[in-house]
Amino acid sequence: MGKRSVLPKQLKTPYFTGITAKYKLQIAILAIFLMLWLIFFAINPSGFSNPYTYTAMLSVAPFTIIPALSLTYVIILGEIDLSFPSVMALGALVLTLTWKTFGPTPLGLLLALSAGLLAGLLNGILITKFQIPSLIATIGTMFLWRGFVLVVTQGYGIPLGEYRGLPIYEMLVGRIGIIPVQIIWTVVIALVLWVILNFHKFGAYVYYTGDNRIAAKMLGINTDKVIISVYMIHGAIAAFAGVLATLEMATFWPALGEIYLMKSIASVIVGGTPVTGGIGTIFGTFIGGLILELIETGILAAGVTGFWIRLVHGLVIIIALIAQVLIRRSEMRRMRVVE
Amino acid sequence: MPEEKYIVETVNLVKRFGDVVALKGVNFKVRVNEIVGLVGDNGAGKSTLVKILAGVYAPTEGEIIIKGQRFKRLTPRKAYELGIVLVHQERTLSENHTIWRNIFMGRELTGPLGFLRISEMRERAQKLLREIGLKAIPPDFPVKYLSGGYKQGVQITRALCFEADLVILDEPTIQLSLAEVQRVLEYVRELKKRGKSSIFISHNIYHVYPVADKFVILDRGRIVGEFLKKDLTPDDLSHIMISIARTGRVPPEYREINLISS
Repeated sequence: MGKRSVLPKQLKTPYFTGITAKYKLQIAILAIFLMLWLIFFAINPSGFSNPYTYTAMLSVAPFTIIPALSLTYVIILGEIDLSFPSVMALGALVLTLTWKTFGPTPLGLLLALSAGLLAGLLNGILITKFQIPSLIATIGTMFLWRGFVLVVTQGYGIPLGEYRGLPIYEMLVGRIGIIPVQIIWTVVIALVLWVILNFHKFGAYVYYTGDNRIAAKMLGINTDKVIISVYMIHGAIAAFAGVLATLEMATFWPALGEIYLMKSIASVIVGGTPVTGGIGTIFGTFIGGLILELIETGILAAGVTGFWIRLVHGLVIIIALIAQVLIRRSEMRRMRVVE
Repeated sequence: MPEEKYIVETVNLVKRFGDVVALKGVNFKVRVNEIVGLVGDNGAGKSTLVKILAGVYAPTEGEIIIKGQRFKRLTPRKAYELGIVLVHQERTLSENHTIWRNIFMGRELTGPLGFLRISEMRERAQKLLREIGLKAIPPDFPVKYLSGGYKQGVQITRALCFEADLVILDEPTIQLSLAEVQRVLEYVRELKKRGKSSIFISHNIYHVYPVADKFVILDRGRIVGEFLKKDLTPDDLSHIMISIARTGRVPPEYREINLISS
């Protein structure tokens, strides 16, 4: 029997016919980004050959991309989080109040990250121990933390301009030449999350928990622990993004984060992570976020009104989704081993 | 260890789901290197029994003895650690991921700080796949593109990889084509060759018969028959099964060879 090698013809050609086959989806996302860039460049060559255009874009892009990176883990789990914009505000508020009380030290950052961890822990417990669907649970915590921030600040903003120029401030949102430091943080976070997702046991468990939770449990993976950990990491990273956004604007604002909710989710989706869970990439989310930011920058640079931004965002999201479906379908047809 | 001849043994196992009694005092034994065909009608309690052995359900009463250790209940993790692996119809696979990842799922080989030893896992997966006759399939192939028989193969390869002592196959041949059924039976023979024990659940007597050493017939939560393969033809077994379905008992002419005295 063992000799009778009935080899389906799909397997006769190697699965990985090179890097393009394995990373088709990521390449498609990158292609969309480059195409958009070319279009915007053609419309406004002088704007897009000016490095400061990119400085401006990369100084605000992190506030969308950073939470989207850890949100990718959440979505790979097959879950969702709507509370991270409120956690961004919570983290930023904790830093602001700590700095106003004890001065601008790393303690503020530490407490902000801890607040994010705790907010994530609460989400994780609601979802695993009380089995509340994440969509519902995080609507609850979204209102909770936003409400907390509004009650504490009474709706007022808090200026932070006096700390500008301090080493800790410059380390978080300064400029190295024309490069905004926050984009370096974004790349570092992306790299760390990418390495964990692809090369660490924890990343593997995140994938399996999202792909087949029953199987993961039967094989002894503590899926509750995985889910809680992911929400905690996501909470801390959201809080960090909130801190960066606040310092970049040099003002704490109680509505901080609200505009990033849909943009960050859209970054993950455009980046090729399906909401059904089990698969997804950090690279895709990173480029997905850049695509959305590029559209904003490009439309403003093209001199048309900002109202176009939403419309083009919508179009690109739909195009990206269709492209993903087509790629997955063609792969399915090509690869299926039928007998 | 001569006294440890049973790999797994249950003592008066009872399982109730509310008012429904799924198992009514089951004493079930599997010897080392034995393949037991567990047969019976729908609702006989076959799945309930093996799920208790795999730690998915806790028994209401009774005990489980594994390699001489007594347990009131198991967890999936504990069962896995004791070398019991449940092979489910497509249930224990992470379909979107590669074969090698699935084989090592939950028991990854890791280096310092928990980083995956990817090349080592790929190599070991490839070696095992070759040994079990799946040599054509690259370990980087995503499981979702495999047919049902290959998927069973991946799960059985996983069991071999972890040196599982008892592999439970819950309806492994259901919905498979003829060629694929033959392949799955081949995997089961491979388990036997390697000194493993196995419980093979099937509706189809003609699938279990060629590989099993012993047949255990469950009916409405009770073991009503236990026969050695050498005493029976497939047609005998089929006849017994039909009779049990009609009358609830083993036909008189087979009572002598029935290891269960009723």
